[in-house]
Amino acid sequence: MTVTVGKGIRNYASTSMTLVWREIEAIFYSPLSYAVLTMFLFLNGYSFIICLPDAQWSVSDAIRSFLGLFWMTWLGSIFFPPLITMRLLAEEKKSGTIELLMTAPVTETQVVVAKFLSAFIFYVFLWFPSLIYIIIIKQYGAIPDNGVILASYAGVFLLGSVFIALGVFTSSLSGNQIVAAVTALILNLLVFFIPMLSQTIQWKGMRRTLEQLWVLLHFRDSFSKGMIDTFHLAFYLGLTVFFLFLAIRSLEARKWR
Amino acid sequence: MIEVRELTKYFYDVKAIDRISFEVGRDEVVGFLGPNGAGKSTTLKILTCFMPATSGSARVAGHDVFSDSLAVRSQVGYLPENVSLYKDMRVSEYLHYRARIKGVSSRDARQRIGETLDTCGLTDMTRRMVGQLSKGYRQRVGLADALLADPPILLLDEPTGGLDPTQRMEVRDLVARLGERHTVFLSSHILAEVESMCSRVIIIKKGRIIADGRPDDLATSLQGGERIRVEAASPLAALLAAVESFGTKDAVLDSGESEGASFVELPLIAEKERRGALLGHLVNSGVAVVEFRLERFSLEEIFIRFTLEEEEEAA
Repeated sequence: MTVTVGKGIRNYASTSMTLVWREIEAIFYSPLSYAVLTMFLFLNGYSFIICLPDAQWSVSDAIRSFLGLFWMTWLGSIFFPPLITMRLLAEEKKSGTIELLMTAPVTETQVVVAKFLSAFIFYVFLWFPSLIYIIIIKQYGAIPDNGVILASYAGVFLLGSVFIALGVFTSSLSGNQIVAAVTALILNLLVFFIPMLSQTIQWKGMRRTLEQLWVLLHFRDSFSKGMIDTFHLAFYLGLTVFFLFLAIRSLEARKWR
Repeated sequence: MIEVRELTKYFYDVKAIDRISFEVGRDEVVGFLGPNGAGKSTTLKILTCFMPATSGSARVAGHDVFSDSLAVRSQVGYLPENVSLYKDMRVSEYLHYRARIKGVSSRDARQRIGETLDTCGLTDMTRRMVGQLSKGYRQRVGLADALLADPPILLLDEPTGGLDPTQRMEVRDLVARLGERHTVFLSSHILAEVESMCSRVIIIKKGRIIADGRPDDLATSLQGGERIRVEAASPLAALLAAVESFGTKDAVLDSGESEGASFVELPLIAEKERRGALLGHLVNSGVAVVEFRLERFSLEEIFIRFTLEEEEEAA
């Protein structure tokens, strides 16, 4: 019995790896990915050029804004994940490849998680060149705070994982990539900006709650200070899992009709 | 290997299949025949666990398609009606990917891919991009995919759809070979093909099964299945008069005339002596008989008969 269970788990893992690898390949085969990569590099580089003088050449401050507090960083975090994720399930639905995929012995969870992981890996890849900026800074003798760097990256990727999971979900809703991308973009903006309404709310309990969900404050008070709060960790991972769960359900929905 | 009980499927309020029940035994090759929109693809999609039934049950390889879908899917090779493949992969890459997600180990995959490429006539195409293949070759890749994990059950939705005559013949031969070791359930609306490939035929129309049996038996159930066709280089009136004077009480099934030639079709006369007597009588009556032969109902005619009968009953 234990042997078959062990074999089952091994099969499950190896099938999942195959799915993830296929998705990563598909992302790198797609011309859109290179357009995204170029735009992102440009935005990132431009943002860095602005951040450095703005911080009066204080290296740690520059990295704080570059990896979290600067508006261009937000723009990138909100705008790029939908471009990466819109294809994932919408294209399978539109072209009909979903039929062969879902009639193979793989579960909806495996498919959704594989799509999420591949997009997330690509998102991390997008941020990779920004490491070069930090290396350059170090070359010029400035010593940035490593804790700030690591925590800021963690913040950027945690937020990215939420938006990518959300994008996988919207991609599962429609057979149209544009609809998937626009829906994801709108939802991203809502996740990002609704907590800002807390300023206008009189009722204290509600205001405090909304403030807790305010992404910008998470960066200002913890990630950019080199801290990772377990509440924030749970918040971002929780949202990621929530949206992945919705995506799995949405993929299963064809079985309910 | 396949057991379907009272299976019903609604799409919103449109009934796609209506309480169908049938069984397919081990290593049987069964054709699922019906006009377009009869519910063939829907049934196959339920059997491959792609969509659930509204009511009724289906078991494939002993597993329920709804509650034990992974077990079913690992026992089934499926060729969908429209074979959609990842266009950005090469044929060999695609098959390798498919083999791996079907749980074929990396070591076995190479050998299995080689075998299926060979079986499906794709050996020269391994380096081609899937997106650049013609419809016929895409169909073959789909078929190779269905065979990859060497599943005991093959569900093929219109396996010859969109192929040219040579390719159709190849697929027919392939299915015949596969039928020796596999349970094959294939759908088609081309009757001649089902007749040549399948040992049993299930005819479905408007979501209901209207006939199920061996092609020969179905033919027999229709007025003995055989008939006599007489062609003559004489006017139809003379031919009919001669037939009537022979005393065959059975009605003439069909008759016609064109450019001085005529024909009649009569129900089969079982005794050979009487058949011989009929021919002798016709010749003696001065009818210039050109052809006198036994005809079997083709599946095509059975199909048309069955579907017409249904409509008459409904009317």
